[in-house]
Amino acid sequence: MTQNNRIAAGGRVDRSQVLEFTFNGQRYQGLKGDTLASALLANGVNIVNRSFKYSRARGIVAAGAEEPNAVVQLGARDDTQVPNVRATQQGLYNGLVARSTNGWPNVQRDVMSWVGRLGGGFMPPGFYYKTFMAPASMWMTYEKYIRMGAGLGRAPTESDPDIYDHMHHHCDVMVIGAGPAGLAAALSAARAGARVILCDEQEEMGGSLLDSRETLDGVSASRWVEQTVKELGAMDNVTLLPRTTANGYHDHNFVTLHERRTEHLADTAREAGFPGESRARLHRVRARQVILSSGTHERPLVYANNDLPGNMLAGAISTYIRRYAVVPGNSLVLSTSNDHAYRTALDWKEAGRKVVAIVDARANPDSDLVRQARDNGIRVITGSAVIEARGGQRVTGARVCAIDLDRFVVTGKIEELECDTIASSGGYSPVIHLSSHTGTRPVWNEELLGFVPGKVKGMHAAGGVAGHYALSETLADGARAGRQAALESGFNDAQEIVLPATRARRDAPACALYQVPHEKSALRAPKQFVDLQNDVTAAGIEVATREGFESIEHVKRYTALGFGTDQGKLGNINGMAIAARCLDRSIPEVGTTVFRPNYTPVTFGAIVGRHCGELFDPERYTALHEWHVENGAEFEDVGQWKRPWYFPRMVNGKKETMHEAVARECLAVREGVGILDASTLGKIDIQGPDAREFLGRVYTNKWAKLDVGRVRYGLMCKDDGMLMDDGTTSCLGENHFLMTTTTGGAAGVLEWLELWHQTEWPELQVYFNSVTDHWATMTVTGPDARKLLSELTDLDLDKEQFKFMDWRDATVADVPARIFRISFTGELAFEINVQANYAMHVWKKLFEHGEKYNLTPYGTETMHVLRAEKGLIIVGQDTDGSVTPEDLGMQWAIGYDKPFPWIGKRALSRPDTRRQDRKQFVGLKPKDPSVVLEEGAQIVFDGKQSIPMDMKGHVTSSYYSASLKHGFALAVVMGGHERMGQTVYIPMTDGTVHEAEIVSPVFIDPKGARQHV
Amino acid sequence: MSNLSVSNVREFNTQPEGNPLVESPLAWSYRHHPAPRGNGQHAGVVLREKALLGHLVLRGGAIALDEAVRQTLGISLPSKPNALAFDDNGERSIQWISPDEWLVIVPGGEEFALESALRKALGDAHASIVNASGGQTVLTLSGDNAREVLMKSTSYDVHPSAFPVGKGVTTVFAKATVILRRPSETHWELVVRRSFADYCYRWLLDASAEYGIDTQ
Repeated sequence: MTQNNRIAAGGRVDRSQVLEFTFNGQRYQGLKGDTLASALLANGVNIVNRSFKYSRARGIVAAGAEEPNAVVQLGARDDTQVPNVRATQQGLYNGLVARSTNGWPNVQRDVMSWVGRLGGGFMPPGFYYKTFMAPASMWMTYEKYIRMGAGLGRAPTESDPDIYDHMHHHCDVMVIGAGPAGLAAALSAARAGARVILCDEQEEMGGSLLDSRETLDGVSASRWVEQTVKELGAMDNVTLLPRTTANGYHDHNFVTLHERRTEHLADTAREAGFPGESRARLHRVRARQVILSSGTHERPLVYANNDLPGNMLAGAISTYIRRYAVVPGNSLVLSTSNDHAYRTALDWKEAGRKVVAIVDARANPDSDLVRQARDNGIRVITGSAVIEARGGQRVTGARVCAIDLDRFVVTGKIEELECDTIASSGGYSPVIHLSSHTGTRPVWNEELLGFVPGKVKGMHAAGGVAGHYALSETLADGARAGRQAALESGFNDAQEIVLPATRARRDAPACALYQVPHEKSALRAPKQFVDLQNDVTAAGIEVATREGFESIEHVKRYTALGFGTDQGKLGNINGMAIAARCLDRSIPEVGTTVFRPNYTPVTFGAIVGRHCGELFDPERYTALHEWHVENGAEFEDVGQWKRPWYFPRMVNGKKETMHEAVARECLAVREGVGILDASTLGKIDIQGPDAREFLGRVYTNKWAKLDVGRVRYGLMCKDDGMLMDDGTTSCLGENHFLMTTTTGGAAGVLEWLELWHQTEWPELQVYFNSVTDHWATMTVTGPDARKLLSELTDLDLDKEQFKFMDWRDATVADVPARIFRISFTGELAFEINVQANYAMHVWKKLFEHGEKYNLTPYGTETMHVLRAEKGLIIVGQDTDGSVTPEDLGMQWAIGYDKPFPWIGKRALSRPDTRRQDRKQFVGLKPKDPSVVLEEGAQIVFDGKQSIPMDMKGHVTSSYYSASLKHGFALAVVMGGHERMGQTVYIPMTDGTVHEAEIVSPVFIDPKGARQHV
Repeated sequence: MSNLSVSNVREFNTQPEGNPLVESPLAWSYRHHPAPRGNGQHAGVVLREKALLGHLVLRGGAIALDEAVRQTLGISLPSKPNALAFDDNGERSIQWISPDEWLVIVPGGEEFALESALRKALGDAHASIVNASGGQTVLTLSGDNAREVLMKSTSYDVHPSAFPVGKGVTTVFAKATVILRRPSETHWELVVRRSFADYCYRWLLDASAEYGIDTQ
């Protein structure tokens, strides 16, 4: 196909660079500088999609972000699919492949259109809700078929080969939109020295100036754009971001921008010649001042069949002609309520095509542009409007009639005009979306017939968005806003800039025309579309108001007005005007719906940025990580830490299962010696004369008499009396303690200590510092631990000299080490702490000497089994924020008689925490020794009770014990401490019911003899 | 090796006397994440590690600490928030971290002697000194695109007008926390925690890839 609609000269396209592209399987040619939309129009492609609900043929309507129909599926391969791209915003590149998002089997012959045609009258708003509501269970089935016929693009099924990233910015002045107001504002602020960011969503900066008929300083407006962009680009304090849409305007002038970096060049960054670079970038801008110069969207008129291909916005047609050198038809009828749209007829005529008539709704239009049109021999029909478009796949004619706006009726004889294109303009709607994101309500301006942005602190609306439509005013308003923003950012000598001269033009006021009356009522006339993307008609809004939906928010949700990628850019004001007419209210009384981020769709990749794959979340490593990897460890995530879970070995050419490895590791610790990397445990250094007093207030137990050189286990409660963390704390000096916390609780405990110190007890002289990362901790444990360690340390390990719950400074493998005789396994254990940079050396030395003792590395799973055999809890596994120390049977660790009331004490005297039937911590011994109960399983007292059973507790930890040779569990059971020896039942989902005996949670060495050796 | 000071705090020199194997927090990263090849291009980013330095965290009242720091290091305690001060040859630094917290970084091996001297100078003033040398390392970032890499990584304003030489902040870096400081016109320093070092390093390699990166 050739580019029949391309004009021979003019426009901003490069005729020397012909680009090939494919749309719906058909090959076409376009030019460098085209958008996909302009290239399609150049090739005379009428139908670009099928509508959402009625499957009506749709063509391109607009030239920018407001395009409702030309929403395409982009991408040549499955991994490069991008859904819902607006063809008007997609720069054309060689090899571009796009498809319509809707239309099955294709847009030319669409099956669903028959549904729309036959059933159209029977598909009022709420059709799907009303028709497919019963039986409810069938909705999923209906939905599948409804979706096949309707809906927008599809997500890719393969992973994206491109990357996306983020960039943070701070600036004095963020200018959104580089049209005349934005450019003048940026220039004004930048010359004052402010840090300026200027973004614009189009392929080129300049906005309306790129297709304006007007001149600046006597030369074409686009020349001034070039000069200005060049000046701004050369300034150090200016960041220019073309092809960048401001999508969200959040609190405190935080603006999110989406920059298209390579997607206008090729399918992937690699194919675009930028391998490894991001395809799109999300800029997160924190601005002192924001200048909103987002301009306006032209409002289409609502007349019958206004959705046929060939119905377009007047301004869009001018853009296609002047900017892209594409004239999208042969004969034009223009229906307008204002002067500005007249330029479209002039542009059309200059492009050498036929203007059939301008139909002006005003009775006596008389101004510069009207005269110019008449002087050019264009027929102007006044006091009238296009009431209906004729045609099937494309407009073939327009029905024109005189209208009475006050009575909302047609008055004269209907005239039929032959044409293939109808341009309409019902005025201009300021693009208030971004200001609305902040929560401010837009304000109706009766003179403009539009909403303008409400007040936002630190925001200056400038130019078209503020209702300044004449070019001279737009420029002046932009320059004023730029200077004002600079002044408010502290640039006190911001000067007024000299603006280019414009030619004064006299415009007459527009009239208020939204829905055009028809000779039939809205319900009987051919469909008059308000929201093209969501197939919302004037009749639909009328029905909604009649059915009692009076709030515009309800009308929106009932009809889908303003949904989808469109977000009401074209339809909202017309919809509100129709609702206002039906409800006999004014537009400001009806009000607007709320616009929310994002302004246009943002690809998920850009939201994620580089926080994906291996950079999804920090992985924290200990100093011994490399050794663990080299020795085949399987890892477990504990918070952000990677901890060795178990170390499977090859046995007879087969890798051990977790069960086998854990059984072996457990026996090694119970019978020989094992080693654990315990570096992840939280460690907090506490210094100060009141350190001991502070400990007494945050722990439940007593700290007054802990001697230097000794270690004590402590429980920490929240103020509700529930256990929050546990660990050992050592007295290093009279004013110096080292606290350990759980791995996951480390940061929280430090914050907790700081919180209480800073807010409640600032008079206590004490400081806390995390030393978690400074120390590496290696636990050597098992009956042979002493023999092994004695080979490497200068410390006297004699049990009388270095007792259980002692710590000493020493050296291990010639490295200074602090050794703690504490045990989480129930065996003889030494926790060796060395400065982390020397950890690998010490660890390797231990293995050199440990070989003869079969020193066995073990991971968290073995650690869990070993501690459970000893009935030692893990906070967060055996407790869940609803367990008190007393529930755990740890009365021995509660100092009710301490002089200062520690955190949680009062809560422990509440009747609820003193109940005897609270869930209490016990051991469970399954009757069948081979059974390992499921963690989380519910416990009942009567295994034969019918469902719903009375749940009396649950299993918190459960393992197989290689030492005991049977399964065992820890659990919380109501009144469990008084139920020792009783049988409980654990019913499973498959119907089996396990029996278990309530026993002491300490399964091995209840007297603690093994750790005291 | 260790002793109880006047303030009843246990001092402990964690540095061995011999020469055992010593590894910076990035030892694993260097072996497992080679920098992307520069293919002969100009590197826009230069990344280096100042490994195995002495790090001390000082907490206490500014007046007492200032006195002690001046006596021992010959630098005044920076009293302005986010200020960073160096000694004359630029090897020793003190940085304001919070209203009662400063970070001292000195050449590796000096930290224990400094800790003892500070305690002596502090007498019985209430303060805390914690050796954090094993727990963190310093990365330096320079090159034409160093600032862009930071803009991709932190929400803090790194523009020269907001982040002059001699400033340092504790801030978010990707999904980790770092201390970010500007010792000179050309260089940035990141003080990263040991356990997050590999993540930060991998993030930096990734963020720098488009500009070309030079590591040692």
